[in-house]
Amino acid sequence: MSHHHSIFCILPPHMLDQVAQSGTTAQRDMAARTLAASRQIRDRRGSITTSVMRGSITATGTAQRTVYDAKFGTNLPGSIARKEGDAPVADVAVNEAYDGSGATHDLYSVAFGRNSIDNHGMNLNSTVHYDKGYDNAFWDGQQMVYGDGDEDLPASERLFNRFTISLDVIGHELTHGVTQYEANLVYKNQQGALNEAISDIFGSLVKQYQRDQTADAADWIIGEGLFTANINGAGIRSMKAPGTAYNDPVLGKDPQPAHMKDYLTTGQDNGGVHINSGIINHAFYISAIEIGGYAWAKAGQIWYKTLTEKLNSNSNFQNVADLTFQTAGEIFGVGSLEQIGVKTGWTEVGIAVVDSGGGIPPIPIPGGDGCLKGLLRSVGLAK
Amino acid sequence: MMRIIFERSGGFMGRKVSLDLDLATLPPDQADAVKLLVAESDFLNLTALPTNVSAPDGFAYSITVETGTIQHTIQASDANFPQALRPLLDDLLARARSR
Ligand SMILES: [Zn+2]
Ligand SMILES: [Zn+2]
Repeated sequence: MSHHHSIFCILPPHMLDQVAQSGTTAQRDMAARTLAASRQIRDRRGSITTSVMRGSITATGTAQRTVYDAKFGTNLPGSIARKEGDAPVADVAVNEAYDGSGATHDLYSVAFGRNSIDNHGMNLNSTVHYDKGYDNAFWDGQQMVYGDGDEDLPASERLFNRFTISLDVIGHELTHGVTQYEANLVYKNQQGALNEAISDIFGSLVKQYQRDQTADAADWIIGEGLFTANINGAGIRSMKAPGTAYNDPVLGKDPQPAHMKDYLTTGQDNGGVHINSGIINHAFYISAIEIGGYAWAKAGQIWYKTLTEKLNSNSNFQNVADLTFQTAGEIFGVGSLEQIGVKTGWTEVGIAVVDSGGGIPPIPIPGGDGCLKGLLRSVGLAK
Repeated sequence: MMRIIFERSGGFMGRKVSLDLDLATLPPDQADAVKLLVAESDFLNLTALPTNVSAPDGFAYSITVETGTIQHTIQASDANFPQALRPLLDDLLARARSR
């Protein structure tokens, strides 16, 4: 009997490979078929998903990427530099945008069964080399846009590298597209900070998934590699310890709060959307650590379902706390380790979850095993 | 006299960059160059842009020009920044970013 506590179990391909290479003929056939089916619908790079419970493949669609070059101007999208299936080009920013949007597409496809930004196979368009001295990246409502940092300044004065250098930035921008098609959160105040946090959360998951890292092994830094050696900082934001990502004579100190008592009320930055997102980021981090394992598999699943099925344009911090708690109960069971982990995350940032009831009663899992055991059992390699 | 107050906020990092530029403090040739950029962009006759256009992580820009008799402010974002103002923006950004 297979276990029932989760919808998706996500495994790195080497584990399935291992299954495919051992066991009886029938067991090997099943694992091999799973691998082959996955690989048909996925490109060469990542892991695959298998739904142990349903025995079906949930990865969805293939990426359709185009990378454009604005050639240091501001006209979008610019001229085509690399399109889907093209070999790598000489321009590293072009390749980073191509690979990064592919990695982001993979996470959404494999972990959440989502077919691109709009869940209908939307093309992933990126523009690199946007403007001169443009130390930023943004989502313009239709595509990703990346500047080259301070490429126009002498090396000794540069603060920022090119923004494609950081995979979680690419995942962050693409997730703004996902949010736009789902909750469509207002980009202001708490709604905007929640919008920002969702982009950081899934951006970080893209990086963790690509690196095959469990929650406790991940650095939880957003914008790793964006700063030049002139700056004292690990990155732009830290989900693990908001407020500690950088501390530098030129840039000052990372201003993010990690608790509601430090929520910043400001007119700048649409009400501090890039500041107060630290509170939500940290709640997610704590939940992921409490739950354990790969953060995309459970904490990510809870948030993806909440984003796509429950949040609306006006959802605030309290709403998302209550709804992620409710969703964890629906997926993993009332009082489950996962639901308690979600609650602990919110409690630690100063948000008391309101329990609206609902969810499924907890189902005992024989042996209390995780995804790997479940998979092995489903192909007959474990009892 | 002319004074320019410039601010760029938002962006992926949410970091503000600002500049308060009194042209009287610049070397005359530089001051003339900035005045020319203001004149060529027809800044003082630009009307306010729709403010509801903000792209996630896009920058928000605010430029205020004060003369002896007039004060005029334009606010725009990466999503709707007027092309005519780009040369002036580039100049102000270069000054604000240099240390
Ligand atoms: Zn499982
Ligand atoms: Zn963002």
